[in-house]
Amino acid sequence: MSDVSVMTTASGCHLFSGCGYPAPSIADFYFKPIFTVGGIAITKPVVLAVLAGAIILIFFYVAFRKPKLVPRGTQNLGELGVLFVRDQIMRQQLGKKGDKYLPFIVAIFFFVWIMNVFSLIPLIQFPATSKIAFPAGLALVVWVTYITIGMRAKGPIGYFKQMAVPEGAPWWILPLLSPVELFSNILVRPFTLAIRLFANMLSGHLLLLVFGLASWYLLSLSIGLLFAATSFLLTIILTGLEVLITALQAFIFATLTSFYIADATETSH
Amino acid sequence: MSARGAPGGGRDPSQPRSPGEGWTFLSYMIGGMALYGFLGWLAARWTGWPVLFPVGMLVGLGSAIALIIFRVTRS
Repeated sequence: MSDVSVMTTASGCHLFSGCGYPAPSIADFYFKPIFTVGGIAITKPVVLAVLAGAIILIFFYVAFRKPKLVPRGTQNLGELGVLFVRDQIMRQQLGKKGDKYLPFIVAIFFFVWIMNVFSLIPLIQFPATSKIAFPAGLALVVWVTYITIGMRAKGPIGYFKQMAVPEGAPWWILPLLSPVELFSNILVRPFTLAIRLFANMLSGHLLLLVFGLASWYLLSLSIGLLFAATSFLLTIILTGLEVLITALQAFIFATLTSFYIADATETSH
Repeated sequence: MSARGAPGGGRDPSQPRSPGEGWTFLSYMIGGMALYGFLGWLAARWTGWPVLFPVGMLVGLGSAIALIIFRVTRS
């Protein structure tokens, strides 16, 4: 929870106590710097992103440090994760020839997922991906990756031609359609990739804040107790929904990454 | 149009389309409207005919739908 929400819950604002509902706002997504390194302020989301990276590094290092033919313990779990990404995400789009991109997609999927899941972990309770910088940075990495792969597969001109010439369209309509195809492939893709993840995590966190704060605000020895109980129940239900959404958004992000790579490498056109 | 639906071959018509393709259609819609809407807006400011802005958006929407139709009927 951010500084603002801590203040509102600590202030003891309740129904009928004269102060209004302290509605959560975009201010809840801004944090005071924890410390500063060379002029760069390190805030909670930055720490969370680094933590997510560290968790993945350590987990997969421990899991595959001494791989055995018959996996046990952590290796079992790690293989489950990698195989899930391979069979459910990567191979759905790329087929077997995409196996060389598997490490990239596994990393993307788990990084996004862990950053999303921080939204639900007690005391952390903030999805790093609800700050646009992280989805935007990830989308930029994906964008550079699929463009590089496409150019290496077909050469700069061949790839540009594929990006600009829509398949199946007759030649006389190309002047009208090519700009849309090019615009959609080069600019809209990375933007929608980033904004889909960012907006989903932001609204989910905001929703939990609304009902979490409301259960505290409505808590009083009056009819408010009933409202507070309803609000609390909704907080629990929405937390369940968020569990689903954190995984789903990571899944979509990784699926689209694989799809863009597949689109850049596909040969017949 | 090869690797998208079925790995390593032509698209198997019995298999559902890839979710990526759906998102591509969405990005055509956004891209078409944004691009031609912007051009229409520029033209409207330049000529002083405000009607060119919505016309541009409609052209963009039409192009996006045309792109989707060509893409679907091809595969």
